[in-house]
Amino acid sequence: MLLQQILNGIVVGASYALIALGLNLIWSITDIADFSQGGTYVFAAYAAYFMVTLVKMPFVAALLVGMVVGGVLSYLFERFLYRRWTGLSRIQLLCAIALFFLMANLAIRFWTAKPKIFPAYLKGSLKFAGVMLSYQRIVVVAVAAVLFVIVYWFIQKTKMGKAIRAASQDREAAAVVGINIHTVNSVVFVIGGILSSTAAVLISPLYSVFPAMGDLPLLKSLVVVILGGFGSVAGVLVGGFGLGLVEALGGVYISSAYQHGFAFIVLILVLLFFPKGLFGKV
Amino acid sequence: MSSQTLQAKSRRNPLVTLIILAVVLVVMVLVPQVFSGYITYVAVLAMLFAVLAGSYDILTGYTGPLTFCHGAFYGIGAYTSALLTLKAGFPFWVAFPVSGAAVFLFGALIGYPALRLRGHYFAVTTFFFAHFVYLVILNSVGLTSGPLGLGGIKPPEGFLGINFAGLKASYYLVFIYGVIVIVALWLFIRSGVGKLLVTIRENEELSEAIGVNTSFYKVLAFSIGAGVAGLTGSLFAHFFRLLHPTTFAWMTSEMVVIMSLVGGLGTLIGPIIGAGIVTLILELMRFAPELRLIIWSVALIAILIIEPRGLMGLVQRIRGGRK
Repeated sequence: MLLQQILNGIVVGASYALIALGLNLIWSITDIADFSQGGTYVFAAYAAYFMVTLVKMPFVAALLVGMVVGGVLSYLFERFLYRRWTGLSRIQLLCAIALFFLMANLAIRFWTAKPKIFPAYLKGSLKFAGVMLSYQRIVVVAVAAVLFVIVYWFIQKTKMGKAIRAASQDREAAAVVGINIHTVNSVVFVIGGILSSTAAVLISPLYSVFPAMGDLPLLKSLVVVILGGFGSVAGVLVGGFGLGLVEALGGVYISSAYQHGFAFIVLILVLLFFPKGLFGKV
Repeated sequence: MSSQTLQAKSRRNPLVTLIILAVVLVVMVLVPQVFSGYITYVAVLAMLFAVLAGSYDILTGYTGPLTFCHGAFYGIGAYTSALLTLKAGFPFWVAFPVSGAAVFLFGALIGYPALRLRGHYFAVTTFFFAHFVYLVILNSVGLTSGPLGLGGIKPPEGFLGINFAGLKASYYLVFIYGVIVIVALWLFIRSGVGKLLVTIRENEELSEAIGVNTSFYKVLAFSIGAGVAGLTGSLFAHFFRLLHPTTFAWMTSEMVVIMSLVGGLGTLIGPIIGAGIVTLILELMRFAPELRLIIWSVALIAILIIEPRGLMGLVQRIRGGRK
């Protein structure tokens, strides 16, 4: 029972960490708490759902379609909206929230509020030591791990990654030495969109696809960013998995009704003692 | 300079202002006499939202930090007051100030740790707080009846032969409450403390450097806004006499933000006008509820693109004022 809950927590935590990694990148580079990722999440999930059910695509292809949808949406928002207000972070935040509501409500309008069942792409599960872990859940953790390694490699080893790191330290100085800040912004937004849509498509077969599906993952991933601290990959991992575990264990041993409220209590407690997050550099 | 961009500075002729104000007040007094019950009902809703948006302006408009939890304080006030009268047998006239004071203290309790956060950290925390309050209301079934809604709330006790069970009498109650609160907020903003808040908005570091305890004043502004929202919630509870958790879901907080932006943050009168306009349009769109939020989201983005200072900013621009 305990081990089972820990495993469930790790799976949920992996999805939080995945979204939070993108949010953290965007937030630390452009100073935008990008709520619109919550909407991108929903659209990517629906795109993949229709690819699987209507077009009869294999799951991997549908996942790629979802990732493209997420990346493109994120790119468009940055290019045509956020970029207008560079430096005016209040307006950018309001715009992000408006986009989040807009997309969730468009999803209701287009596809109704009724949850849609995403067909399982991988049946069966792993049984050991009295616990059961479906293969689909293992895939969530595995893909998250691979993406974490890729993003880490990209940021540490490539030229663009170097530019991103430079921009996160000092935008003006980076611009002075010839780094194109607009390109950096576009790249982090595309990465963010891809990461959150991947989480959406991987999680969809475990639960279902519905317009409000992005609300809680978005809020909790934002909490993970705050908990972990600005620009900290380790913080994202610790925050994501930590929150996943707290929710899974708290949901069973404390109260299932308040499962989604634990994140807020954890947030307030951590902020009381660590106002800059657990691993905050700033 | 980002904090200034959302605020409009107004320079009006005081006589014109007075005349407009008098006309508006007379029209408001006449509403229940002239119009049908439905329009009176919408007007009550608009007045409640006007007070909410006005109190929201104290922190977000005048002091600076964006919050997304005003609807939560409204909800806490509504449920506190309803439960005090239903379960503890308090009369409304006691439950009303008590719930306002309770929400004021609660605001301080949340504001103290949360306002230590800068910028978007604080905004995101308030957003989550709003959702947390909704979850608690929804799940505390024993206390709030959760998704079934809390019914059987009594209207305020009448006195001097006035019976607040009727629509007209309660309309005037809300009207008088609204006028008193808005005048009080206006006086507060013009007071020394109000000027300090603007100083904090314009330059927090500098305010600290000259010895202003900025965190105290930010928590104070946050709590005052919360307390007024709590009082308004109490009035709402005893006017509609049926509470449902979804009334206080995060969308309500977002509507307050939208109203304030439509009118123009940091002007007090702007958010009040914005509340009136938005409530009216929301009611007109009752036939297509699923379109309402789509249209308001698009409208919000359009406002941000065209004139982030809202209507007041637009008025000022037309008059050729300082841009």
